[in-house]
Amino acid sequence: MDYVTTLKILVIGESGVGKSSIILAFTTGDYNASFPATIGVDYKCKVMDVNGMKVKLGIWDTAGQERYRTLTSSFYRDAHGAILVYDVSEPRTLTKLNEWAEELQVYSTKKNIVCLVVGNKIDKQNRVVPREHGKAFAQKHRMLFIESSAKTQEGINLAFEELVQKIIETPGLWETGGSSSNIRITNDSERRQQEQSSCYDYTCTI
Amino acid sequence: MEDVLDEIVSSEDLQKFEKVFHEQLHRGTVTHKAQFEYAWCLVRSKYPTDIRKGILLLKELFNSHPEGKRDYLFYLAIGNARIKEYNKALHYVKSFLEIEPANQQVLTLERQITKRMEKEGLIGIAHWALLMNALLGVHYLFAKKKQIKED
Ligand SMILES: Nc1nc2c(ncn2[C@@H]2O[C@H](COP(=O)(O)OP(=O)(O)OP(=O)(O)O)[C@@H](O)[C@H]2O)c(=O)[nH]1
Ligand SMILES: [Mg+2]
Repeated sequence: MDYVTTLKILVIGESGVGKSSIILAFTTGDYNASFPATIGVDYKCKVMDVNGMKVKLGIWDTAGQERYRTLTSSFYRDAHGAILVYDVSEPRTLTKLNEWAEELQVYSTKKNIVCLVVGNKIDKQNRVVPREHGKAFAQKHRMLFIESSAKTQEGINLAFEELVQKIIETPGLWETGGSSSNIRITNDSERRQQEQSSCYDYTCTI
Repeated sequence: MEDVLDEIVSSEDLQKFEKVFHEQLHRGTVTHKAQFEYAWCLVRSKYPTDIRKGILLLKELFNSHPEGKRDYLFYLAIGNARIKEYNKALHYVKSFLEIEPANQQVLTLERQITKRMEKEGLIGIAHWALLMNALLGVHYLFAKKKQIKED
């Protein structure tokens, strides 16, 4: 199967805000009320239709736990898009996004990387962070903004659609061609990535 | 990276965390954090000697720092799978699943390990034996049928 390009999407934010749940909702439509904390970095992929083009998304789900903080930053390199998630029932997780945004500035290698702020868990009765706060944060950092619930699926597809649409519209950010054409320095692991195009799990049969 | 077992650490990362680890070692106390970070790089190295070193460090952590158990088990499984010690890798996967039976990340890793074993013929032999059995069985049935017809 052929697709126009492969985009690397990074998902970051504090532990427990629902990063893995958002990815699960997007890739399979499922929800797990007791999702275990991610270990290190997890990878999922999905082929998406954008303006009639097939685009493969490689989604990197990072662990939010403190002990992984110094480790996961090496996965920021070459990302085309980043999703910064906070929990609307935990104000601290939005404040903490400042640190994640800084980290992104330091470690991402693509200058015009597209960022999206997601306020998750809007299904909760005890939501405390108003929509405006999340939106203000996003505007301050020149990022896109959306609210979602991995539990009810609200906003999930829209989040990825908006992000990918924006990436596709950004000139020079991505290149056409098979898989990892975005990677310039080719080392062993990357070469292997290019050769092997079977995608584990769910949606992709390539 | 489509498969966690293919993911390789960058040399900058390895050097960075190796440096921290050795500095602490030199001073006499190594924190769990520094040891884990270094081990995390080592088990993702392309050199088996590094991976083995990483496994040793992780085993030490596993015994001395119960809070990090699930992380250590996960990377012990990855390290062992990467040096083709598949049975040991599956042993760590199993220990993990005893604590968290539905962990998707670990179930995926388990599938990746068994897929590799199949590819490298370790399970293949068993399958092959089954297939031969089935073929012999069919052959036997045909022979029998023929016999019946001829009777
Ligand atoms: N009510 C509600 N709960 C959610 C939602 N999204 C996630 N959760 C729950 O929040 C908990 C944490 O979700 P995860 O997806 O594991 O969080 P994470 O950000 O991946 O956490 P780390 O992997 O530790 O960084 C899980 O038990 C989910 O069921 C949501 O939209 N609504
Ligand atoms: Mg997670």
